[in-house]
Amino acid sequence: MSIISDLGAQVRAASDDLPIALVVEALDRLTLASERLRWVRQESVDPLGVPELSAATEHAETAGHALRLAQDQLATYLAAIGLGRDGTPAARPPGPAGERPGPPAAEPLAAPRRVAAGPAGRWWAVRVAELFDRRDAPAVEPDREITDAEELLRRVTTGVRSGDRGRLQTELRAVEANVGLGLASVAPPVLRDLATTLLGHPPRAADLPRLRREVGSRVTDLLPNLPPAVLETLLSRVCRMPPPKNPVEQPHPADPAVAAGIVTGLLMQRLGVDQRPVTARAPRDTHA
Amino acid sequence: MASVAELKAAIDAALQQIGDGQAAVQAASEKLAEAQQTLAGALEGSGHSTVDAAQASLSQAAQELEECLAATLAAVEQAQLYVSTL
Repeated sequence: MSIISDLGAQVRAASDDLPIALVVEALDRLTLASERLRWVRQESVDPLGVPELSAATEHAETAGHALRLAQDQLATYLAAIGLGRDGTPAARPPGPAGERPGPPAAEPLAAPRRVAAGPAGRWWAVRVAELFDRRDAPAVEPDREITDAEELLRRVTTGVRSGDRGRLQTELRAVEANVGLGLASVAPPVLRDLATTLLGHPPRAADLPRLRREVGSRVTDLLPNLPPAVLETLLSRVCRMPPPKNPVEQPHPADPAVAAGIVTGLLMQRLGVDQRPVTARAPRDTHA
Repeated sequence: MASVAELKAAIDAALQQIGDGQAAVQAASEKLAEAQQTLAGALEGSGHSTVDAAQASLSQAAQELEECLAATLAAVEQAQLYVSTL
């Protein structure tokens, strides 16, 4: 085994061992606990720990997103150094004669043979086009300048506030899947701070109808094909509430990420701000 | 209308589920720490931006798991407080 194959095997093994299944198990348990406590709560005005449990569920979900994102990023790295997803040398597309994979530090992120630039990475762009109801939109050039979700969120919120829907969907479609999926991790904390500023207090269950009113129709304008349950789940999380029970079907992985970015932009537009507000958080609000 | 015994039983069952969830979160945190250590050793000196991003994602996951656990502890405290008033 060559040094590079050995490195690939180590990275792949560590990636495969990431505790996604354990996080899913934790989520299942916490969801069951939430359902039971909600039943009890029907009989009582005491919050009974339900908001705290909703926050716990949200943290677990975000942890799961981050783990999947890390797996995707590690797979991208393996591809960039010329290894397949299993850590073995990948079949390389034709390149200039004599081209050799350089050491990791010297390998540019935008190397032409990145797997995400091929059909495997297109699912993200296809789904974004569907959400915007632009299935027939021409293909966009991959934008490899955007390599982190924070930067993408800045661009998305700017796009929403500018009202340029075409540019917004083009920018979203142009990024690679791992960057786009990262919106599901980076946007919710910003959303919560924006909602706190809008409402004048940390959002809670009673604020859900107002948040729906504030963004619901605009989200539909921008993303006509977003399943309503995705927005409802997102806003419920912002209000530290359990998601709607028994969703009709599991959303597409891109949906919560795109929705989180768009709603963040809409709340910024509503508040007339161009960056995350600084909110004073009560000690328990950091995890409740 | 539910009886006090039924409410207590339901809360006990919820607390049991939370306890199972906490155990899963703790196990996940331990496995994640091992993976971070393995990757840090294997990828030391890489400097590749995707590696940096992956390590940042793993750190975020670890932080979220920690906050998840803290939130479950607060939930348990609230639920137990309620039970004590029944």
